[in-house]
Amino acid sequence: MKAGSRWGDLLSGLSAGMIIAALYLVFLYAPREATMGDVQRIFYFHVSSAWVGFFAFFVTLLAGIGYLRTGERRWDVLGFSSAEIGVTFTTMAVMSGSMWAKPTWNSWWPWQQEPRLVLVTILLLIYLAYFMLRTFVQEAEQRARFAAVYGIVAFASVPLTFMSVRWWQRLHPVVFDRQGAGLTRPMLLTFLFCLLSFTVLYFALLLHRTRLAKLADEVNELAQRLHSGWGGRT
Amino acid sequence: MQFLNKVLAIVWKDVVAELRTKELFSSMFVFALLMIVIFSFSFDLRVERVAEVAPGVLWVTFAFAGTLELNRSLATEVEGARLDGLLLAPMERSTIYFGKMLGNLVFILAIEALMLPIFSAVFDLNLLQPGLLFTVLLGTIGFAAVGTLLSTMAVNTRAREVLLPVLLFPIILPVVLSAVKITAGMLDGQPWTDMAPWLRLLIGFDIIFATVCYMTFDYVVEG
Amino acid sequence: MSYLFAAYAVFWALTFLFVFSIASRQKRLEREVEALKRALAREKRPSVENPDSS
Repeated sequence: MKAGSRWGDLLSGLSAGMIIAALYLVFLYAPREATMGDVQRIFYFHVSSAWVGFFAFFVTLLAGIGYLRTGERRWDVLGFSSAEIGVTFTTMAVMSGSMWAKPTWNSWWPWQQEPRLVLVTILLLIYLAYFMLRTFVQEAEQRARFAAVYGIVAFASVPLTFMSVRWWQRLHPVVFDRQGAGLTRPMLLTFLFCLLSFTVLYFALLLHRTRLAKLADEVNELAQRLHSGWGGRT
Repeated sequence: MQFLNKVLAIVWKDVVAELRTKELFSSMFVFALLMIVIFSFSFDLRVERVAEVAPGVLWVTFAFAGTLELNRSLATEVEGARLDGLLLAPMERSTIYFGKMLGNLVFILAIEALMLPIFSAVFDLNLLQPGLLFTVLLGTIGFAAVGTLLSTMAVNTRAREVLLPVLLFPIILPVVLSAVKITAGMLDGQPWTDMAPWLRLLIGFDIIFATVCYMTFDYVVEG
Repeated sequence: MSYLFAAYAVFWALTFLFVFSIASRQKRLEREVEALKRALAREKRPSVENPDSS
């Protein structure tokens, strides 16, 4: 356990450091964007949050497949732990997306101009559905199975939803291109570094969350042994 | 051939059961009528705007009526413990999936067939064009494919009927979007080439999800 | 711009809340594990103190 927690601390430290470095890049290194000004800086963390939201659900998909094939608890733990992190970051993406949209399009929710906002919201709805499903299934094994199946089916719909929402927007061509001249090199570097730091942060959080789940399992097991009356070691 | 026979047997069983009571059909029909009325009042469907709103109203009605069908269909199965009986029968779970999906498809299509003339009358539009009917078929296939799997899960939970729309709607969004776009395009008289990408998306969805749901159905009914 | 501040505040708030919730749950669970282990150890002892019981 000691070695495990050392990795955990290392990862936590690394992710914290990288986030701080990312903040420096976002605010002090990346140039001010021509058309939108400083508000454009929201984009770096907004897109990175959305990226983690999608990546986390992909991991839940993989965990679902793993669980269905092996029936081992640890896959289910991976599934819901990743989903918890994913839903947090997707919420961040939706909220920051709205805050970026307001000064850009003068609307808190520009359906037609920003289909990607719609897509991230649908992802959020899928996450919420996933947790609702888990909440309403009583038995642990059935819960794991249902969640695994839903994770697989739901993630399969994401690429198709992405395409449909994209095309739906293209039929209403945008009058002006908000991104202006596109990304300059320092912007691109900042962008990629943010994506990387968020990914590292995701893994750090995942490690801690799965550890927490294993701890909870241990508590349940010990409590059961205690209540069944005979406390001997198995 | 054996596979097809078993599948059709399941479908036939459901159809016969429904023909006896007709409770599912009548409730769906009334529900769909109510939706038209409510939409007429909420949107104030005057002539100029009807063609704009019609595709959306149509598909929202179909989606909600379809959800009603999925819920009721599986609820009666569980109540009568008929699902357990079916699971004991000597056939693969996947056969059951296709049987149930086809059964759901037949019922929803039946309601849609009844609603389309009524919609045409209310909206003063010709909804009975072959292309449009084909789109309705494709959309309903996608809906039934995912809906059969998810309703089987939902009915096993504490929340039952309430959970199905929550699980289903985010996933079938591409179906609804494509179907609405194609329907709107047809009513506007757009050429087929314009709508080809949406059609491809819809067909792709149907194939992908019929496959995925077929493969995972086993895990949902085991135990 | 206030939007910029708000967006980054959202990021910090949610991350902080998430990390805090994990950390506090972890502390609580670790305490429970210790308490349960001690309770289990006590359970085993009666057979030593009471040789009469089966």
